[in-house]
Parts: sequence; structure tokens; C-alpha cells
Amino acid sequence: MAEFEPVLTARWGMDAPVWIDEYERTGGYNALRKAVTMDPDEVIEEVKASGLRGRGGAGFPTGSKWDFVPKDTGKPIYLVVNFDESEPGTFNNRELVERDPHQLVEGIAIASFALRCHQAFVYVRGEFLYPGQVLERAVREAYEKGYLGDSVAGSGFDLEVVLHRGAGAYICGEETALLESLEGRRGQPRLRPPFPVVAGLYQSPTAINNVETLSNVPHIVEHGHEWFAAIGTDKSTGPKVFSVSGKVEQPGNYEAPLGTTARTLIEGHAGGVLDGKALKAWTPGGSSTPLLTAEHLDTGMDFESVQAAGSLLGTGAVIVMDERDCMVEAALRLTQFYAHESCGKCTPCREGTWWMTRVYQRLEGGLGRMEDIDLLVDTGDNILFKAFCALADGAVSPVTSSIKYFRDEYEAHVTEKGCPFKTRAQREELAAVTPRGAGVEGSIPLSEVLT
Amino acid sequence: MAADLVTLSIDGKEVTVPKGTLIIRAAEQLGVEIPRFCDHPYLDPIGACRQCYVEVEGQRKLMTSCTTPVAPDMVVKTQNTSDQARKAQVGNLEFLLLNHPLDCPICDRGGECPLQDQALAFGPGESRYVEPKRTYRKPLPLSPLVALDRERCVLCARCTRFCDQVSGDRFIELFDRGAAEQVAIAPGEDFASPFSGNTVQICPVGALTSRTYRFAARPFDLKFGDSVCPHCASGCNLRVDVRSGDVVRHLARDNADVNEEWLCDKGRYAFRFPDAEDRLKTPLLRDHGLEPVSFDEAFSAVARWSASGRIGFLTGGRLCDEDAYALSKLARTAFGTNDLDHRRYRSAHVPWQVEAEAAAGRPLTYRDVERAGTIVVVGLDPEQELPILHLRIRKAARAGANVVVIHPRRTRLWDVGHHILCRPGSEADVLERLSAAAGDFGGERHIPGGDPEIEPAIDALRHAGERTIVIAGTRLAESPGALEWATTLAAGVGGRFTFVSRRAGDRGALRAGVHPLFLPGGRRVDVDSERAEVEAVWGASLSNAPGRDATEILEAAARRELDVLYLVGVDPFTDFPDTRLARHALENVEYKVVQDIRSGELTPFADVMLPASPFLERDGHFTSWEGRGQRLKRVRDPVGLSRPDWEIFQGLSAVADHDMGFHSLEDLHDEMGSLLGGVEGRTGSAERFPRSADAPLSPDVPLRPSAPPTASDGLVLFTYPLLVDEGRLSDDARELKEALQDSAFVEIHPDDAERLELADGSPAVVTTEAGQATLPVRVTANVAAGSMFVPFNNQGLRMSTLLSGSFATSVTVEKVES
Repeated sequence: MAEFEPVLTARWGMDAPVWIDEYERTGGYNALRKAVTMDPDEVIEEVKASGLRGRGGAGFPTGSKWDFVPKDTGKPIYLVVNFDESEPGTFNNRELVERDPHQLVEGIAIASFALRCHQAFVYVRGEFLYPGQVLERAVREAYEKGYLGDSVAGSGFDLEVVLHRGAGAYICGEETALLESLEGRRGQPRLRPPFPVVAGLYQSPTAINNVETLSNVPHIVEHGHEWFAAIGTDKSTGPKVFSVSGKVEQPGNYEAPLGTTARTLIEGHAGGVLDGKALKAWTPGGSSTPLLTAEHLDTGMDFESVQAAGSLLGTGAVIVMDERDCMVEAALRLTQFYAHESCGKCTPCREGTWWMTRVYQRLEGGLGRMEDIDLLVDTGDNILFKAFCALADGAVSPVTSSIKYFRDEYEAHVTEKGCPFKTRAQREELAAVTPRGAGVEGSIPLSEVLT
Repeated sequence: MAADLVTLSIDGKEVTVPKGTLIIRAAEQLGVEIPRFCDHPYLDPIGACRQCYVEVEGQRKLMTSCTTPVAPDMVVKTQNTSDQARKAQVGNLEFLLLNHPLDCPICDRGGECPLQDQALAFGPGESRYVEPKRTYRKPLPLSPLVALDRERCVLCARCTRFCDQVSGDRFIELFDRGAAEQVAIAPGEDFASPFSGNTVQICPVGALTSRTYRFAARPFDLKFGDSVCPHCASGCNLRVDVRSGDVVRHLARDNADVNEEWLCDKGRYAFRFPDAEDRLKTPLLRDHGLEPVSFDEAFSAVARWSASGRIGFLTGGRLCDEDAYALSKLARTAFGTNDLDHRRYRSAHVPWQVEAEAAAGRPLTYRDVERAGTIVVVGLDPEQELPILHLRIRKAARAGANVVVIHPRRTRLWDVGHHILCRPGSEADVLERLSAAAGDFGGERHIPGGDPEIEPAIDALRHAGERTIVIAGTRLAESPGALEWATTLAAGVGGRFTFVSRRAGDRGALRAGVHPLFLPGGRRVDVDSERAEVEAVWGASLSNAPGRDATEILEAAARRELDVLYLVGVDPFTDFPDTRLARHALENVEYKVVQDIRSGELTPFADVMLPASPFLERDGHFTSWEGRGQRLKRVRDPVGLSRPDWEIFQGLSAVADHDMGFHSLEDLHDEMGSLLGGVEGRTGSAERFPRSADAPLSPDVPLRPSAPPTASDGLVLFTYPLLVDEGRLSDDARELKEALQDSAFVEIHPDDAERLELADGSPAVVTTEAGQATLPVRVTANVAAGSMFVPFNNQGLRMSTLLSGSFATSVTVEKVES
């Protein structure tokens, strides 16, 4: 693994963003030119054989997804690029686009060709003003150079690409909520089945792929599936851009083969825990994946190994917490995030995240009861796999995993009537704004609870 | 086993259901109740509340039974047999109750609340939630009819989905997200849907409440009974709630064949008229003034005055089938006259076969509308005139039916249908062009192409062929040739045709023969064999001369060719398009008999007033536009001495020495059955008049109109009653009128407005042969160019004062010089 050559981040040393001249000079769009000479099914086969799995979190085999899109329904086929990257701790899509936007554009063009899709949409996270602007220019350049629009790369294959900016909702990263939003409706997830591959955007067959996933595609076409499958592990092939953040010396995106250990990422690439402190906890795949601890550091960062360790690879976003961090407060903040981002459609997520937020506020504010810990566990159980979409399952992860590994910290919040990691002054300040139990006058306005 | 059936087991019991059935429905068939909030049988599955979890063997996660279709050999365990499902349900109810205010003691829903009931049956019993609840300002008025209490809302989205999927008017929507998600409406907007009350009824908590019912009653204080809505011919199944004798509420009863679970807001909120102060409580006879008398005294007077047989009968739309039948017999046997009519349209342009078929058969039903491929609506504004038919057309459109509306004014089917806006009177022309194209399906005739207005309709007809239905309203009766062409169009594509009228009693009256030409069952008075069938049952010899229609009766009264004008639930001043004629008739005819629920405008003219009981104080039937007879039951005792109309007719017949022999409702039903094939008209005498599927009209009569419709120059003013207006059955429905009635206005096409220099919102003087009125102008492309629309009886203008015998008239318009 030592001789791993960066793939997705190969152009990151250059002046950013890499515009089209530089991109072409460094071999860009060769893969597209090659792809359009192939049979579209051949391209799909190549991607299938490479073992590429979706990088958005679920890890579904990309080639199979493309295969499942029915090509002969008489309806248009759409490709929707999920660039609504909003998972706390995850920022690789953003940098991939900010630095090398044409890599994504080329991936979109090849995927569209394989799918017989003539209309692709990129759903850009609302807050991503700059990356959106970069991508907009890259798309314009690609049109001017004939890589998009009529007769892509002279092939006779036409492709229109439209960028659509979201309005700032985490839920719109959920693919069916994304489709609703793209169609101009409230961003709330849709009932499945039908699945988007069959009836997605405008009830037409739709492939929805993550930015990083598509960025891999030109390389697979150019170098072949065998080359790609040789990177990573047997079942988790290829390179991955890991976002490492939190209490590390050098937070950032680091590309490494799937299967690279967390220790290598944290202690190697990211320069170790900040200030030489001891690592307490980390997420392997963003805030929606259960926390792991120092004892799991040698876990390989691939789909199978992380799952075996009791968590999920998710987006490969490693958030590091050290010995100074309060796990109850960390869980509170994440729970607040999910309560704020819950779309409201289903009961367990809407009410459950709200409730857990309030329990956490009491624990942090010194008004916790010992039974609140089991209450949180049970509430988590009443939410997990019972909500409409996976957002709520993600919301449960930090709660149950932090209690599993750090129950003593929760108990300390109860016995010490407040957060042991805070000063007396901080605690008193917090207690003053903590919602009381029933029977106390004055409800806390929702805005205060959720922010 | 049939391929479209699936057998599965639920809680160890086997059940076989059609493929595609949802688990929750299959469980209902076994009597297994799975708790639910968002699920509603007439709305698309959504799976939002997550209450209905069940365990399905082989599935990793619990499944929501409201979104999961059954599969062969599926093994389902509900809360009754699965600990997992039970825990999920208990947990979910606990979630739902976290922020629910538990103000049940003062909540209108308390005692009939699905949340309350299901919390009791399936809930945790106590809550572990100790924090303060979410609070909102309460309640928010969404309209004069509906109030919203967001604290109570469980966000099941039934109300917003109803507006989206059923009524198609999305006034309310979910706003915000997470725990702050809430039902809301655009600032400054009212929930101005004529179907808004349905959201109250389907709300599973007390979040949406009717402002007419707030704090009015507790469910256990109510006495209620099953009835049928008296407001139009939709036939909605109604529950009438009475508290201490006063009506406090109407609710829809579920009938999948008719109104599903819906009512329009008029049917729901116009419920106070039976409790009006001016109810007639005893018969009144004019001496110096109107003096209370016994029924027999009143009957004797009427019998005396009308001994000559110079009597004419007009009826309104509220009569039940039994009343209409009794009157049909009374007029002919006791007074020997065929001068009786229930219609307010003239018969000049109505082929008799069209009415005969409506009188005898049941050509089309709601289910037929649901299944249709193309629905042609002509001469009818369904939302305003038959609201539940409107909903069913929308349902059909959602399922893929094409809708074509031929009408001078765009209807609220605009978003699901193709409108051909045509001037009143030119419907025949449009229908003829469509028929010509329809006749070309065999490839023999040239299709007149290239007209973008007509083309989509031709495509729709071509697409649906025999799955086409044509629904014609009574306004076509004034349009020369239109009904002939409408039936021809239906026949040409092999489709079906129906002629529908608006008021609750219309179809029953036609069927019973409250009509100058028709005896019961559409039998013609002038066809000996048909008359003989009735004579045999009635044991009387009947006149074979067709009588006068409504207008002719009024004219005869005005000319003193009649001695007695007998008015049953009808007001000639408002109900007929000629106020002058009404006045002449009432001022000239010697005796006026007024049989009604309430005192009113006719009181000063009346020589006798006979107190009738409204729908909720009696048993009987209403026949809907489909031809479906539906039973209404007595919900409360009649007020004073008032009685059902048929009993009054029976009483009169006895005093007039022609006792009809109806000493009970059963007697009456027996006799009706012998002539109408049963009270409910399910079989009827339809065999005598084949359904339009086979032959639209009797084949020996030419169907083609003899002359093409004439197009007149100049502006045409047309009118029809909007759903909520000054009609007497919506008296005292203050909130309803405030919510849905505008003051009178005139709609005019932009081209005409420009020519006449009329600005939107400015006043204009509208002048017809009969009169003049000043009305605010609405400039809109939603009326056909060359025509203008004024509502028939909105506040501020009674249109009958501007009309002279027809619901459309030529008109001049001038702006008001300031």
C-alpha cells in the first residue's frame, strides 16, 4: 500500500481549481473519448467489474445500480448527481469539486452515456456557493469544448447538464427527498417502492450517484477494472477520500485505498491527536455512524471491516474526539443537529429527536436523572429502523454508541449534577437556561431548543 | 385460486384478499384493528405516522401495514401476537403524545377522537416525558369555517393530502420542518375551498375544528341519525347531529359507491335552516290575516277552490321521492290535471327521450365515472352544481381519465381537464364538430383538424372510445340542439350519456312524474299503453293531454286561466328566470297555496300555508343524479304540526274525495314499487328505455337536430347558481356565506372589456330587456368571449330580476362614468 498513487486527488497539487485546459493537458477527457467509442453496456460492465461501490454512505454497487435502470420504458432516463454533501464531518465532495471539477463533469458524461441519459442534474447543497460556482464554470467550459451538449465528444450522443441549488436542508441528501426538492416540492422522502431506478425524477428511471462515486468513473474507464479492483480490499475496491476532522493536528481530506486503517489516517495522514492528547472516540463515517474508540483504531476503513467493528463506513468521515471532550455534550450537539434537520414527516424522527434533545439538555444542565440514560437507550430503540428514512437511524447512532462506551460519563452528569467537563460558572450559566420538568411555568421557545 | 387473489395469515388467521391490498386493509377484513393516524382509505398511502407497524416474517425490520401490500403466504403478526410490533406501537404513541396538549376536556374531538381512543387501546398508559410541551398560539382561524389548533396536530397530513389529492385546491400545506413542522396557510389567505370541512372530519385529533361546532356539544350529548343531504343531487350520505332538539352538525357517512367520505361545505355547514325562527308550525288560512287552522279546514278550502280542476302545481328541489309521487298522483287523480312541473328549465330544447331515460333508468353512476376513459362535461359546472360529482371526476382524472369540459365559463376542473369555452347557445356547434370527428373512427369521414381548441378533445375521445361518458347539465336545455348532439356524440363513440340536474329532489320528481308529459317511470301521458299502466295501478282514468310546463303554468296563472297556484317548496320570484312573470302570476291568480317549511316572501300572497317537515324530521328517499334512491330516516320529531309533504298531499286527497290510500309510508312504497320497480329505483323500468350503452335513445325517433344552432350577435349574459348563495336552505349559514360567497359580480372576457372600456374592479351598468343593475366588473379569460357571467342569486342581485324567461339573455354593458 505504501506505493499508493493518488487517483482522485492527483491534480490537487496544481493551481485550484483545475480548469479545462489544464485538465485536458493532464489527460482529462481521454476517458470520455474512449467511453463514447464503447457500447454503453460495455461501460456498465466495466464499472460493475471494477467493484466500485457508492461513496454516499450506503455502498451500493454502482454498476449494478446502472444495470437496474430500465432502458426501454419509453420515458427519459435521468442521472441525478447528489452534491448535497451535508453529513457532519464530511467534506470530500466539496474539495473534489473545488479543486478538480472536470473530473466530476467527465464522470457525469460517461455515466450518462452508459445510462443512455440525455439529461443530468446536479443537486448542489445550498450552502455550497463557491463549489457551485466552480462547477458552473466547469460545465460551461465542457459545453464550449464539446464534452457536453450536442454530440458529446463528437459521438452523436447528446447530453444536457443542469445545476440545481438546494435551499439548505440535510434531508435533501436523502435521495428521494432530493428528487422531491428537485421537482419543486417539499424536501421530504418518498415512499419506496417504487425505487428511483424505476420511477425517480418525474416518475422516470433515475440513477442517483454521489460526487465521489462519479469522480472514480473516468479512472475506471481509462485504466480498466482490473487496475481499479487492485486498489483497496476484495469487496471494497478503489481509492477513497477520507475526511478527517476534530481533534487532530492536521484536519483535511486524505486519499487512501479503502481498507486503510483508521490509525493510519489519524496518526499518519492527519498528524495524530491534537496537542498529543489521548483519543477518546471517533466516527468512521460521519456523525450518523456509531462512535468507535481507541481500541478500534486498527480497523480497516472498508465497508466490511467497519461493520464488523460495530459501526458503518458511511461517507468515510472520521471525526476525532479526545480526552477533553464530553461525550454527553457531543451527543447533545449531534442530537440537536438531527432534531433541527428532521423533516417532520414521520413521528419517531420528529418527536424522538426532539425528546432526546430535551433529555440531553437536562443532563448537561445538571437536571438529569439516572433513569434518563436508559430512557435515551429505549427512545433510541423506538426510533431505530422505525422511522421513514435513514436520517433517524443516523440520529440514534451517537446516542446509543456514546452510552455504550461512555455510560460512566452519563452517570457522572447525574451524580455531579452537571457536566464534569465544565467549570462551575459554565455549569451555572447552563442550568439557568435548561428546561425544567413538567409543572414549571414557561415553555422554552422552539427556536432556543433547536439552536 | 384466482390469480388476482392472495392468501396470507394475520395473527395466525388466514385471509384471502385481492392482490395489491394493503396489510392494514386485509387485517380489517379479519376484524383485526391495527392503530393508525395517517392512513385513510380514500387517500394515497404515505406511511408518515408510523403507528401501524406489524411484524412480517422474513423481514428484518417491522413494516408499516398501511404501505405494504400483501404477498402470497405472507405471515403477519400484529400487536396482538408480536412483542416487537407492540413495543413499536406503544413507543410511537408515546412519541405522538409528547407534545399533544391533553386539553381533551375542552376539545371538540374529546370523546370521538382517534388519538384518544387509540391511546387508550394501544398506548403506554403513562408518559415518560417530563419536559414542557411545545406551544403555539391557539386556535388559528383558517377561514370562517375552519380553525386550526397546531398544538393538537399529529402531522399525519391527512388534511393537506385531501386538498392535494381529492379536492385539488391546495390552500393548506405543511410548513417548516422537524418538531416545528405545522399545517399552515399563506398569510392573508383563507381556506376558501368548498370542501374545507372534510379536513375537519378526517382529522384524527382536534387540530382542525369546525367553527360552527366549537364548544357546541359533547359527543355523548348528541342524538344523531342517518340521512341524505338535501342540498343537491349528489346524494351524499349524511349524519345529522342534534343536541337538545337543535341541529349542531352534519357529518359525512362513508359510502364508497356515492360520496365516499366527503361532503361539500354547503352540505356540511348549511344546517340551520330547519331551526329557523320562521318555521311554519300550523296550517294557516287567510281570513283577514293568515289565521291558524286545522289541516282539514285548510284542505277543505283548497278542495273548494280547485274543484274546477283549474289548478297548477310547481315544486322546488327539496321534495323527497314519496312527496313527488304523491303529488304526481294527487294532481291527476284528484284534480284531473297534468299541469305540474318540478323543472326550472324549459322543455323546448329537451328531447323527451332524454328525460324519459333519466326518469326510468340509471344510465351512469359514480363508479362509471371512476372507470371512464374520457369524461365529457357539458352545460354543467360540477364543483358549483354537483360538488361530489366534481370530486369523482377529479378522482377519475387522477387515475388517468381525460376530462373535456364544454362550458361558457372555466370550471375548477381547469387543472385536470381540457376546456372548450363556448358562448351559451353554441354548445351544439362544438358537440357537432366533436361528433363528426367521433364518427370518423372507422376511417370513413374526414376529421376537421387543426383547431387547437377541439383537437385535444378529439384525441381524448379517440383514445377512450366506448369508455367515454358524456355528462350533460340542465343548462343545455336552453341551448338549441345541444342535447341531441350530446347524445349523438356519446352514441357515436359507443359511450354512454347522462342528463343530470342539480337539486336533491329533481331526479325523484322526474321519476315520479311531477312533469306535464310524464307519469311515473317516464311513461308518457299521451301514449295510451303507457298511460294505461298507470291507470291500472291508480284505478283512475287520466287525461291524455300533456299539461303546461312551469313557465306556462305561471303564464296561465297570470292570465287567470288557473284558479289555484299550488307552490310546494318553490319561490317563483327567485327560482324561475323571470321575476315579472312571477309577480304577474301571483297577483292575478285567485288562490295561492303555499306548502313550505318556513314562512317567507310568498307569505303575503298566500291564501293557505301548509307546514311541511324538512328532511331530518321525516322518513323518505332522495334519488341522486345517478338515479339511486337512498333512504333518509327521521332524526328528530317534526316541529309543531308540520308533516312530510306526502302526508299533506294524502290528507288533501281524502278531503277532496279522491283518497289516494296512502295511510302509511309502506302503503306508498308498495304502490311506488309497482310502478317504479322498487322504492330505490335500482331496477326501475329501465328495460323500457335501454341504457345508453346499447342505444342512447329510442331508435324510432330522429336524433339529429333539425336545424343548426343559431349564433346571435352581441353579448350574451348567462347565469347559474353558485354553490353558496342566497338560497333559503343556506339561510343562517353565516360562516359558510362569509367563507364562500362573494357579492354579485359580472365576469367579462378581456377582449370584450377592452372594447367596452371596462376595467377590472370598476362598476358597470348591466342592462337587459327586463332590467338593469350596477355590478363590479371582473375581467377574466375564464369566460367565453362574447359572453358574460353573473351568479344567479348572490348577495346584492337576484338575477331573475334581469331575466325574461331564460337563463341566458342578450345584454348591453356600460361603464359607470365617474
